[in-house]
Amino acid sequence: MRVVIAEDTALLRDGLTHILTSRGHTVAAAVADAAELLVAVAEHQPDVVIADVRMPPTHTDEGVRAAIAIRRDHPETGVLVFSQYIETRYAADLLAGGAQKVGYLLKDRVADVSDFIDALTRVAAGETVLDPEVVTQMFAASRQSGHVAELTPRERDVLALMAEGRSNTAIAEQLVLAYGSVEKHITSIFTKLGLPSSGNDHRRVLAVLHYLQR
Amino acid sequence: MPAHARTLRQLLYALIGMPLGLAGLAYTAYVVAGGALLSLTVVGLPVLSAGLRGARLLGGLHRALARRLLGVATTAPPPPRGGAGLTGWVRAGLTDRAAWRAVVYLILKAPIAVLSMAVVIVGYGYGFGALTYPAWWRLIPSQADAVGVLRAGLPLPGGVYLDTWPRAILTAGIGAVLLLLAPLALRAVLTLDRMLVTDLLDARRLDERVRELEASRNFAVQESAAALRRIERDLHDGAQARLVALAMNLGAAKEHLEQSGGDPQTRELVGTAHRDAKAALVELRDLVRGIHPPILDSGLDAALATLAARSPVAVDLTVTIARRPSPAVETIAYFCIAELLTNVAKHSGAPRAVVGVEQNDGRLRLRVADQGRGGAQARGGLAGLTDRVRTVDGRLDIDSPVGGPTVVTVELPCPS
Repeated sequence: MRVVIAEDTALLRDGLTHILTSRGHTVAAAVADAAELLVAVAEHQPDVVIADVRMPPTHTDEGVRAAIAIRRDHPETGVLVFSQYIETRYAADLLAGGAQKVGYLLKDRVADVSDFIDALTRVAAGETVLDPEVVTQMFAASRQSGHVAELTPRERDVLALMAEGRSNTAIAEQLVLAYGSVEKHITSIFTKLGLPSSGNDHRRVLAVLHYLQR
Repeated sequence: MPAHARTLRQLLYALIGMPLGLAGLAYTAYVVAGGALLSLTVVGLPVLSAGLRGARLLGGLHRALARRLLGVATTAPPPPRGGAGLTGWVRAGLTDRAAWRAVVYLILKAPIAVLSMAVVIVGYGYGFGALTYPAWWRLIPSQADAVGVLRAGLPLPGGVYLDTWPRAILTAGIGAVLLLLAPLALRAVLTLDRMLVTDLLDARRLDERVRELEASRNFAVQESAAALRRIERDLHDGAQARLVALAMNLGAAKEHLEQSGGDPQTRELVGTAHRDAKAALVELRDLVRGIHPPILDSGLDAALATLAARSPVAVDLTVTIARRPSPAVETIAYFCIAELLTNVAKHSGAPRAVVGVEQNDGRLRLRVADQGRGGAQARGGLAGLTDRVRTVDGRLDIDSPVGGPTVVTVELPCPS
């Protein structure tokens, strides 16, 4: 996997580079701000980008804006945004351009190195990876939405794990359910959210997006 | 300051003060009085307003001199608060109390300047002349006295001539006394000046003091908001980043030990350290969010979106802000709503809250309402909020009859 890292703290930038390299991935570039990130993406066409949200010059949302630009201009590149804080606004902005090949995680998640690299791989492969914190916030935000309010607590659990990008097998394991019941829950979720039944995997993404459309 | 240096400064003050004092009187007579007379016509008031501003500047000159040479600690009055346009400018000038007090000073300064000059001339001029009299009295051409006798030396009133050595030496003695007394006399006269400067040119009068306090409080409020932001930024770039790197390395070590089947005790220790590092990250993040949520830098609406989403009660949020308030007002608004939502969750029993933020007439209005059991009172957390809101001249109103509903409104000034 070819990766470009944008992170203004040298300590973390080097640490990430080291860990990715030691596990057989290629870090094509490791940069310190959003402008350099855009240049590096255009130059290296990486499989996936890791972008910090707060970078110079204003230290507010440079990383999110760069991520949106990359998703627009380089749809083949996956984007994993990570930050010390999960913000509802940024999650909505990030997912407004579609929920594929995108991730939004707390920086804490790099502490579980294999899980983090797994998430990165899944984003590169086209999946959506949302931090449990994002999911919690999205649930709260959608409590007013009639559709999501119709879901049973168990269906919400399933939806939350789907939002985190888990497969049906992983969801079944996590919730200690039979694979078949997970499928049933998912069908029920799709029905309640009014998603077309002739769908494909993309329906999972649409289900996630439902959190964002109050 | 050594005594002689102080005396030199006082002397300098008197010397400069003389022409300046007379010029000030002349200025007052011509410009201010002239403007006042002219104010019967249409150009009079602008002239008078300009004249008063000039008087204020002259007052500033005197204040600076008094500070430099007499060590009178004073504060410049804050500039007049003006409305827009020529009318506002004229009105601001005319109602500028500091300028009117400067006019009074300029008038009273003139006689004091003359008096201090007289002390300088008599005390120092005559004193020096008399002290050195023995050296030069012989050089004075002789002149005829009342009875036609040629006499040397200077005459005193009453036909006494200082024309003998004993008299010359006595004169020198008197000169020495004059020179010794001169600084004391000058100091006494300047004490008067000093009082006038303090009473008339210093800002420390009630109304100006209020404005000064307003300005310094505003500075303190803005500065503390900025300081909290700096702390947050430093933590983010420093401790938080280091903890993330530490947790990441511990995670890598843990996985490595698991794969290589290392010593169980080491594995346990590393596992514990890894968990602790992650827990520290969570704690630090919650702490920093309480200091200054960084999303506030992107605007109150963005910050409130996350706040609403994280709230334990469902929040119906509407934010209408055309122009961003100052960072301090944004911070206070944010923490008000955070505290009020916590109250809804803790005390109201209501499952949801309605939060509205709107901006009009230079005020930011926050409204947090719930359909809970009501009975909220301005105690504890709400009293603390009221205090916090008052630091920016805002107000907080609670409408919470027993049985509900509860509506808390906060108004914060945000001049547009």
